[in-house]
Amino acid sequence: MKKQPKPKVAFFDFTDCEGCQLQLANMGNTFLELTELIDIVNFREIMSEKGEDYDIAVVEGSISTDNDVKRIKEIRAKAKILVAFGSCAAIAGVNGIKNRTSLEVAKERVYADKAHTINTIKVMPLDRVVKVDYYILNCPPYIPEIIAVFKSILMGKPYPLPNYPVCVECKMNENVCRYEKDQECMGPLTRAGCNSWCINNGNRCYACRGLLENPAADGAKEILEKYGLKVEDILNHFTLYNDPQGEKYDQEFAR
Amino acid sequence: MKYASLKKEDLNKWLEHLKKKARLYAPRKKENLFVFRPVKNVKDVCLEYMPTILPPKKYYFPQKEKLLKFTVNPFKTAKAIAEFEEYILFAVHTCDIAGIQCMDVIFREGPEDPNYLNRKEKMTIVGMECFKPCDKYANCVSMGNHVPRGGYDLMMVDIGKSFIIHINSQKGERLIADLSYIKGANENDMRKLEEKRQEKKKIFKEELNAPLPKVYEAFSSQGSFDSPLWDEVGRRCVACGNCTAVCPTCYCFDVADEMELSFNEGTRFRIWNYCQMDDFARVAGGEDFRKGRPARQRHRYYRKFKYPVDKYNRYFCVGCGRCSRTCMADIILIETVNALLDPENAASYVGSVKNRPEVK
Amino acid sequence: MIDREILLEKVKTSPYKPMKGRIIKAEMLTEKEKFFRIELEDKVNLAHEPGQFVMVSIFGYGEAPISICSSPTDKGYFDLTVRNVGTLTSRLHQLGEGDTLGIRGPFGKGFPIDNMFGYDLVIVAGGLGIVPLRSLMRYIMHNRNDFGNVQLLLGCKSPKDLLFREEVKEWKRRAEVKFNCTVDKADPDWQGNVGLITTLIPGVDINPMRTYAVVVGPPIMYKFVIGELLNKIIPDHQIIVSLERRMKCGLGKCGHCQIEGKYVCQSGPVFNYAQLKDFKGECHEKAA
Repeated sequence: MKKQPKPKVAFFDFTDCEGCQLQLANMGNTFLELTELIDIVNFREIMSEKGEDYDIAVVEGSISTDNDVKRIKEIRAKAKILVAFGSCAAIAGVNGIKNRTSLEVAKERVYADKAHTINTIKVMPLDRVVKVDYYILNCPPYIPEIIAVFKSILMGKPYPLPNYPVCVECKMNENVCRYEKDQECMGPLTRAGCNSWCINNGNRCYACRGLLENPAADGAKEILEKYGLKVEDILNHFTLYNDPQGEKYDQEFAR
Repeated sequence: MKYASLKKEDLNKWLEHLKKKARLYAPRKKENLFVFRPVKNVKDVCLEYMPTILPPKKYYFPQKEKLLKFTVNPFKTAKAIAEFEEYILFAVHTCDIAGIQCMDVIFREGPEDPNYLNRKEKMTIVGMECFKPCDKYANCVSMGNHVPRGGYDLMMVDIGKSFIIHINSQKGERLIADLSYIKGANENDMRKLEEKRQEKKKIFKEELNAPLPKVYEAFSSQGSFDSPLWDEVGRRCVACGNCTAVCPTCYCFDVADEMELSFNEGTRFRIWNYCQMDDFARVAGGEDFRKGRPARQRHRYYRKFKYPVDKYNRYFCVGCGRCSRTCMADIILIETVNALLDPENAASYVGSVKNRPEVK
Repeated sequence: MIDREILLEKVKTSPYKPMKGRIIKAEMLTEKEKFFRIELEDKVNLAHEPGQFVMVSIFGYGEAPISICSSPTDKGYFDLTVRNVGTLTSRLHQLGEGDTLGIRGPFGKGFPIDNMFGYDLVIVAGGLGIVPLRSLMRYIMHNRNDFGNVQLLLGCKSPKDLLFREEVKEWKRRAEVKFNCTVDKADPDWQGNVGLITTLIPGVDINPMRTYAVVVGPPIMYKFVIGELLNKIIPDHQIIVSLERRMKCGLGKCGHCQIEGKYVCQSGPVFNYAQLKDFKGECHEKAA
């Protein structure tokens, strides 16, 4: 690669827990190596976002207010490249649970008698409002994937998300299948790319990376039912992270 | 010396010896299943085991293998293959040895694959013959792989208080040479071996409903290719790719580059890739040349029972049963093949193996 | 097992190792297609057959199969024409004269030129199909008296998508190549045919027993063109096609290009229709 001025990178967050940015800190030395290649011009709590120019906007969190919509559009207008960073930004993540009830109910549940003062809209991933160029999935993001995406950005090539299930990576890691042990797992329907991180560590897959583009609904339903899960349970499992897509699964599974 | 004898109490001593000779991989327990792992403690080695989650394929055709080291500027490619160390695969079942023989055929066919050939050259195989069928999913008898058919350096047979070891190569011979506790097998040992083999004939029964030539014939008809069976199998399939990952004879791969943060040096890898994946046959222009799970499952079966038979006169199903065991959707190889052999009653075979009590 | 010495030699010359190629000419032909002329390190001759392909690498961006569009009679270099459709090809489009890339190959079976000597040729190119066929056309031009009548039928979306326009004119002028072209959608200056390429075939005057038809184009085109050629009673063995598939190795190993039991990268990409007929149902290009 030819020597070019370092691209300016700004980090922003919306509705989220800021755990994704914490993952950057967990990257340790690799993060430092990365900062040699980029200029970080905006990091929440360190700098103000006004008046700074940036090439790459790395955005964490989902869209959940009218103001969010306005703000993300402004960020998009300034950025050459926009990265959805983490499940909340990429697929709406846990925030999506809000969409399971009406906005009125959700507001009252959280803010009780102050509910009328709150502005809130259905939770959305970034790409419902603006064009997203790169996705870093996972909750929290998987460090090797963060690095791979940044490399792709710096090389000017797309980062295609794997379009096969977590099982592919899980089997390469030679894990004992959770179904083998009569335990449920979202692996067969969840987009791979995390190197079956959770299952490697004795956990199950929670579908935090979102579902495959082409999930085999029929087959999956049979499998989950065989292992004693009802359609309702299945939907609950899916919608922990995937509510904006939930409508799609409702249709798939209601058949 | 063609056959040697090793007392069971000396097994661990021998394993310690092998550990010193080369890197030693052997089956051990992982939760309720088994896996091949480097041997740290010889006591962990399991000689009686169900086929491991992954076949030993991961050692001679690794999940992710370096093909090339490269430098962009100046354009440079480094020696594609690092020096591998010698390794021993210990207690390999005859089905998995048949799998290695299939891989040999593929990777030795020109243009040869030097990565595989190199790893194969460093490999010593110590086999372990089975004397009881592992479970209802295996079809090794029908495939003719329940008995040793070459392809190993040493083959161990448990005859009670000791193992008889068949010496099949110089490489194998070197592993038992000059050891006071390994002696030539005597007449008594050989008689016991013969008895074991006779006994085995009574226990091991063919699992498929027809002999192999009939199976091949069934796969060869246009009716089988167009059979509604594939729609049913495809409907159940979730395309998780497990069946292909665990297959000792599946060798498809993807190639991907990884760049260092210097953006000048990097590595080209090959990574296991499966015909069950959505993008497997899709070209950059968008056309998908094998659409849908029915066609992909059919392709998997045909790559075991038809295409390699046409090309190499060899079945690429070794009968280990892994694909059936690992399938969440209960797509059972024996059921599928039997259904194809008897299309009129195809539906009746669904669950015919799955619901059968486990062999004991 | 093979001899250790032989093995080490094989390892050194790994077929996965690309040769260094240098771009000596690069130009955009249309909005989406770019032409590259490449010279191998030490002026090594690629020594390919018309119809073969190479695996083109750009380190870090990957590798893809690309048809060679020059003839082996063009010595000291070879040509590629690449449409920008994926990660590798879009990076390739950013390269220009003097840049380097990796080349493996040539791979596969090319057009059966020896069998075609003395025959009349009908060459049918749809869209990008003219790219591999240019290798054949250039070979024919170089050895024009080895072949009978040559007719070239070209089809593309619109006049601006027409590749090698000047070269085609030159073939027509210099060497008695009958040439007919059709576009899906004309522009005001277009004076040729409008419609699918299949419409050109019934009007072609041939002696079927003495004719080889060579067809390359998008997958959807084959079925219909082959159908028309069969109507003309051209024997199965004399209908030649070249197929596109996903490929990762070019060595008959990676599995992506398989049509049933055949590896397109080794048994193809050029097939005759008799071979296509043997496929049971995975070959999209087979006539109905």
